[in-house]
Amino acid sequence: MKYLDCFSALARRRTDEIVVASAGNSCQAWWAATRDSVGSFYLDASMSLSTMFASGLALAQPGLKIWAFMGDGAFCMNAGTLMVERQMNLPNLTHFLVSNRAYGGTSNAGLPNYKDNDYAAIARGMGLERVFAFSSLEKLERDFPAVKSANAPGHTFVVLEVEPFSEEDQKLEQPPFDGPELKFRFGRHIESLTGADVFGYRI
Amino acid sequence: MTDNRSENAKRIADQLASCGVKLVASLPDNWVMDVIETIDRDNRFIHVPVNREESAIGLCSGAYMGAMGSAALMGASGFMTVVYALTKINYTYEIPLFLLATLRGAVGDHHKHHVSNGLYLLPVLDAISMRYQIIDKVEEIPLISRCYRHTRTYARPMVVLFTRDLLRGSH
Repeated sequence: MKYLDCFSALARRRTDEIVVASAGNSCQAWWAATRDSVGSFYLDASMSLSTMFASGLALAQPGLKIWAFMGDGAFCMNAGTLMVERQMNLPNLTHFLVSNRAYGGTSNAGLPNYKDNDYAAIARGMGLERVFAFSSLEKLERDFPAVKSANAPGHTFVVLEVEPFSEEDQKLEQPPFDGPELKFRFGRHIESLTGADVFGYRI
Repeated sequence: MTDNRSENAKRIADQLASCGVKLVASLPDNWVMDVIETIDRDNRFIHVPVNREESAIGLCSGAYMGAMGSAALMGASGFMTVVYALTKINYTYEIPLFLLATLRGAVGDHHKHHVSNGLYLLPVLDAISMRYQIIDKVEEIPLISRCYRHTRTYARPMVVLFTRDLLRGSH
């Protein structure tokens, strides 16, 4: 499945989910698919920590549904985060592992053991129960409602097998925000959705 | 746990609770085990043991964006592994973060494998322009809540460093 087609399909199925995108290509792909500048946090400046960031947010705001993207390059760097996620078992968190079998953010540099890594099996081995894997757009379109099913218990893990970015894809725009602007756009959106006081003051 | 260690762990927990910390993400160091166990038993907190120190940085930063107070608790060696995460997440986005760590390698630490922390922990903090506060005495424990509040004003990370004398008693 093509990376950008996959993200466009996810964007079409998104309703009220808050999104955390990761270092690598997911920030570019999600920005291209949505142009969302308030309900998505582009955590481009972080390798392997997008789902921990999303877990903190999901823990703090159980009324929000959180989608977190992480590339398999980031996962290789810090696979133990999945143990923490399993332990927290947050029902409002969905971890999308975007498996392009490469370090996409660095020109598709080689990933260790990329041919044999079975991310769904790794997740099950850590005790996760709600594990999904999609390698075609057709299957994603058909079965995605199960990922989003209401009142599902526990943390959800979704493997998306995609093709690496092409050279043309790599030229896609990065989300055009400095860090503090992104923080305030996103944080004010969280405040408006929840009534929570993120920053300690309101304008 | 000796009485002093127990009392000091309780005082540290009370300080964290007093400034609104709810989530505590931790990795162990022998010196902070009394604090970790005290927090784990205390229902004012959600204690999340993490797989590595960087994960605590991500978790606490996300909690901040959800308006939940948090602290990352770790040893000095663990802290030395999180420079990337701190500078990328907390400096780039100006997300406040409060850390508690051990002042390993200082006077009173008899472990030779912490010599590197004695040599480089404070210089590393200075190199990344990260504020720190050393807490060596019981009377200084109330500085914890002041430092926590400073992270919210300063919109960057700050670390409180506990000495062995405070956490384990002098020897």
